[in-house]
Amino acid sequence: MKAFATLLAKETKALFSSPIAYAVIAVYLLLVGYTFTAALFITRMATLVHIFFQASVLLLLIIPIITMRQFSEERKSGTLELLLTAPVREFTIVLAKFGASMAVVLVMVALTASYAVVLAVYGNPDLGPIYSGYLGLVLLGSALTALGLVISALTANQIVAAVVSLGLFSLLWMLDSVAALLPDPFDSFLISLSLLAHFTPLATGAMYASNFGFFLSVTLLGLFLTVRALARR
Amino acid sequence: MAPILVADRLSKWYGARLAVDDVSFEVQQGEVMGLLGPNGSGKSTILRILTGYLRPSAGTARIAGFDVVAQGLQARNRIGYVPEDVPLYTHMRVTEFLEFMGRLRGLHGAALAGAIESVCERVSLGAVRDLLIGKLSRGYRQRVAIAQALISSPELLVLDEPTNGLDPRQIIELRDLIRLLAGNCAILVTSHVLAEIERIAHRAAILLNGRLLTVHALAKGEHGGALRVQVRAQAASAVDACLKAVDGVLEARREARSDGLETWRVRVSEPAVGERITAALAQAGFGVREITAAASDLEDLFLRLTAQERPR
Repeated sequence: MKAFATLLAKETKALFSSPIAYAVIAVYLLLVGYTFTAALFITRMATLVHIFFQASVLLLLIIPIITMRQFSEERKSGTLELLLTAPVREFTIVLAKFGASMAVVLVMVALTASYAVVLAVYGNPDLGPIYSGYLGLVLLGSALTALGLVISALTANQIVAAVVSLGLFSLLWMLDSVAALLPDPFDSFLISLSLLAHFTPLATGAMYASNFGFFLSVTLLGLFLTVRALARR
Repeated sequence: MAPILVADRLSKWYGARLAVDDVSFEVQQGEVMGLLGPNGSGKSTILRILTGYLRPSAGTARIAGFDVVAQGLQARNRIGYVPEDVPLYTHMRVTEFLEFMGRLRGLHGAALAGAIESVCERVSLGAVRDLLIGKLSRGYRQRVAIAQALISSPELLVLDEPTNGLDPRQIIELRDLIRLLAGNCAILVTSHVLAEIERIAHRAAILLNGRLLTVHALAKGEHGGALRVQVRAQAASAVDACLKAVDGVLEARREARSDGLETWRVRVSEPAVGERITAALAQAGFGVREITAAASDLEDLFLRLTAQERPR
């Protein structure tokens, strides 16, 4: 536990002491803030549904930038050898890097909660969809972060890690569109793997256990595969 | 006393290439053991297996009785490791880095502070302890890497090519440091520089193409090296008696004779013994043709063994 706390502190400090985290958070807030303002003035409706969909697409684009360096940089600089030859379990190292990456995602998502506060102060929004939408963003962020770590653990090149992660996330996002071209039962199988298909109910206020289970399963699978990628040496 | 390290029939495949081939050796407590071999002979791969970074394809290794794969945490707890090229977190300050590595090794509070003080003093890091590692010279980075390896007082210190990239003064300092540390823990050190291993190790394991060719005990206290003496003489026994009578001659061995010229290999305690040998041979009436510095025992052995096998 102490080793985990030490690693988590080191990873979080490394992320937040680099300009990447601040650039990513700033761009995210700028784009989401613009959409919030524009949508509010155009629709005059106290809802964040459009914000959740835009934020989810931004997470697809931004999380590869957060996760790309996590293992790739350590592998390239050789410091991964220091970590893996210390008396620490691989799972502890993976969990610490996941925790630090999620800290950036949580800061991004938490800062957009100010829009919900604005709606609550000046309007009368239905809070249920807002809660479920934020929960959906966190679950989506968690699944994408875990998958990004797998890719980062497989290559020593940060750019390759980012591009492959982006490709994988886009594929998982678009699966339901591809599924429309396939016959039954392949279409429903592909839809069941689509990130968008599982995120949409949460963003619109419908909370189903299957969607929680999907994102948690993807997260756990990602963490497991990252540990396996590190152990394969 | 039980050996601190036992490597038993280790092998490692990288795809279709066999990098380490059935290597077995032991390192005793308090011993300095050198792994010697040309680049690509499998030295670093063996160290990476012993330190838990790589899994062996076959064979086992035990550190203080703990299997490096099945009981990896316990084994790694007993090793301090300085990888080749000295990878460090260059964005950290020296003390911050040592704190991080110390905490990973289970040190906290006063024990951690005490350990940092102790290693900084042992490897002379006091002047740079508050500097960013990225700003340090190669020599200081090497010291930081050794300091992190020593922080939890390991039973086995593993150094991979520790003199790479160091200037002559830094190499001498590092050599002195290794001699100093040898009393407290066993040291396994690799090098492709034969003289380095010869100067610091008690035994040297010679590797080529991933195979262990031999483990050679190095004579300690021999600082003068060896001389090759060519002398014109009728009887070898007379030359032998004359050489062995010279003060400072540790061993004299006849190597060859052709056209009335005897060639002897003479191990001496100091370089100045060469002058005494010349005087003694001349006084005994032998014609001294040449006295030159000879290759050391280890060098001879290395050349002989590696000549039989060509690098792959």
